[in-house]
Amino acid sequence: MSTFDALRISGSGMTLHRKYLDAVSDNIANINTAAAPGQEAFKERFIVAQAVDYGSGTGGVRVAGAAFGSGEGKLVYSPDNPLADDEGYVRMPDIDLGTQMTNLLIAQRGYQANISAISRATDAYQAALSLGKNL
Amino acid sequence: MIGISDTTMTALHAALTGLSQRQRVSNDNIANVNTPGFLAGRTDFESSLRSELADGSTPAIGGGSVHRSLAATRTDGNNVDLDSETVIATETGLRYQLALQALNGKYDLLSAAMRTQ
Repeated sequence: MSTFDALRISGSGMTLHRKYLDAVSDNIANINTAAAPGQEAFKERFIVAQAVDYGSGTGGVRVAGAAFGSGEGKLVYSPDNPLADDEGYVRMPDIDLGTQMTNLLIAQRGYQANISAISRATDAYQAALSLGKNL
Repeated sequence: MIGISDTTMTALHAALTGLSQRQRVSNDNIANVNTPGFLAGRTDFESSLRSELADGSTPAIGGGSVHRSLAATRTDGNNVDLDSETVIATETGLRYQLALQALNGKYDLLSAAMRTQ
């Protein structure tokens, strides 16, 4: 336990939600990334969150790793695409934009909630630092 | 014993320790708002502090006990409620500042008593 633990805890929450935002942005950026039918489509990326030091409840959160969606995707008829096979098909990722936008909001709001928590903790620490100042 | 700290100051110190622990736990809950299977932590230091003060004994400074909330969980097994966490964190922050002001008042009193005119 360090002196300004509340800040470190909220910082870990911010890191997690930023990585969550990164993953969602990457998924949306690659929503139209085509692959040859013989290859895997772009895989949707998920962030795995894990509570640290669950017993005392003061360890924050960490990114336990990334999980990936299916690489199967869907075959789309697009004969003009240079990656298309002889029959004119390419493999597109099967990512739902609605789900991604929802996750984007969840990650964004989680990030903002942690920022608010930091500013509340800062107020308390600031008040503690001024203890006995006017003696 | 001639000490600087009396029971009031020790009680305020114990309250500050407990409140800062509650703020840590609340920040931990907010950090884990999207962690599947996470149960919100709850802190209690008031009941032990109250009984110690009722006994007339000097309060122990060491924070309170942390237990897991048994509120209903979401579909991902998490039961952190951002609204109540915000209320708890804000209230805790204000109570922390209130306790600090009370402690400052005690120090002012001591300082006035030490001053020679």
